[in-house]
Amino acid sequence: MDCDRMAKLLPDYWQGALRGHDAEFVAAHLQVCTACHELVALGERLAELPPEQPSPALRERFHAMLDAYEEGRGEASHFLPGVSGGWPWGRNWMWTRPSVAIGAAAVLLLAVGFMAGRYLSDGQAAHAQQEMAGMQSELTNMRQLMVLSMLQQDSASQRIQGVNWSRRQPKADPMILGALLHTLRYDSSVDVRLAALDALSRYGNQTQVRQGLTEALESQQSPLVQVELIDLLVAWRDGSALDQLHRIERDKNVDPAVRERARRAIDQLS
Amino acid sequence: MTRPVPDEELMMLVRGGAGDMLGVLFDRYQVPLFSFYSKLTGDRAASEDLVQEVFVRILKYRRSYRPGTAFRPWIYKIARNAHADQARRRRTEVEFKPEMAPSILENDRAAASQQEALLHRALLELPEAKREVLLLSRFQGLPYGEIAELTGCPPGAVKVRVHRALEELRDVFLRLGGGRATNGRVAGVNHGL
Repeated sequence: MDCDRMAKLLPDYWQGALRGHDAEFVAAHLQVCTACHELVALGERLAELPPEQPSPALRERFHAMLDAYEEGRGEASHFLPGVSGGWPWGRNWMWTRPSVAIGAAAVLLLAVGFMAGRYLSDGQAAHAQQEMAGMQSELTNMRQLMVLSMLQQDSASQRIQGVNWSRRQPKADPMILGALLHTLRYDSSVDVRLAALDALSRYGNQTQVRQGLTEALESQQSPLVQVELIDLLVAWRDGSALDQLHRIERDKNVDPAVRERARRAIDQLS
Repeated sequence: MTRPVPDEELMMLVRGGAGDMLGVLFDRYQVPLFSFYSKLTGDRAASEDLVQEVFVRILKYRRSYRPGTAFRPWIYKIARNAHADQARRRRTEVEFKPEMAPSILENDRAAASQQEALLHRALLELPEAKREVLLLSRFQGLPYGEIAELTGCPPGAVKVRVHRALEELRDVFLRLGGGRATNGRVAGVNHGL
């Protein structure tokens, strides 16, 4: 009889939804009934099974599919300037279903014609463009939020992921650049700092970034990051870093390899 | 710390054409989905194909995602459909074969792994519908309401199914030699009370 009552209560017990008398009953019954106790233990063991990890190939396949989709989307938008919202049947679809590629192409052309008719012949191109601009702005904000959120995670791999996300920004965003520069200076992981530096290396034309890199050189402790920073400043032919390079070259506490690198950089920039 | 962006907001952007946002959803769901499929089918290669198929379908059907729809039940619905379609294509029920199960280790140190391997075997011997409801509720931790939505059963019926499936799992587990499932973990039964 008690086991029948348990059968009714256990599903809620699993999800922590039991309260009051019911919860007390289950606790007491489990102390005396081996069969129910065994069932509960098995259920708990099931919940504790470790998750299984897919192979790295899955991620590669996913990104190949996504790239194909993005590429297909870019191509489709050439047909209709100003409307870049993407098409439901991008190249990824053809890629996964090659046998119907011709049919898909026909559908795509029809869709383009339909959309062009809908947006352009009704004289609503401006409205469509306004809508798309709104979406683009929302997307930019979301990307920004994603990067900023990921750069603050506890796990270094997630922070590196955040750095990688920043590369998806189509153009320099001062807030993202600021976050990357902060990461370069203060992140506890050398790997994350190096990733941030690599991401920043695309922005040699930004004063904020050049200045930030010179400042980072001043406070940087890791020889690996110091060398990368010096190399980048040389590649940018940034003479404003000369004072800082001289200081490093003279500082006996700095790693000898870094001092040597600084000396060569001074020769190249002078 | 900045709050993580909710799945639903990301999906709305994917719906609007921002394919790269699907990358974040992939990062969040690839392991849970793969684990679900792997335990459901016992086949790692097929499970990876299925996870890929789920994300292809999300892109393909992204316009069908409606604002306000909870993302997790939605993606699991796609996952179940992808699996059902694959099973139809194969026209065979996944049948347990000993080589599918993880190998059982012999030494004492690996006793826990041995019990785990037996549990995997026992799971694979259950009928698929029972295996699925157990995985969704106990392993994936989906609330009964979400499972009800996915399977089209009332939540009360889902609870009964979960309980019966667990009883059957216990019987198979013991038959396979799993011994006492409790394994001296009596204190653990008070969790959640």
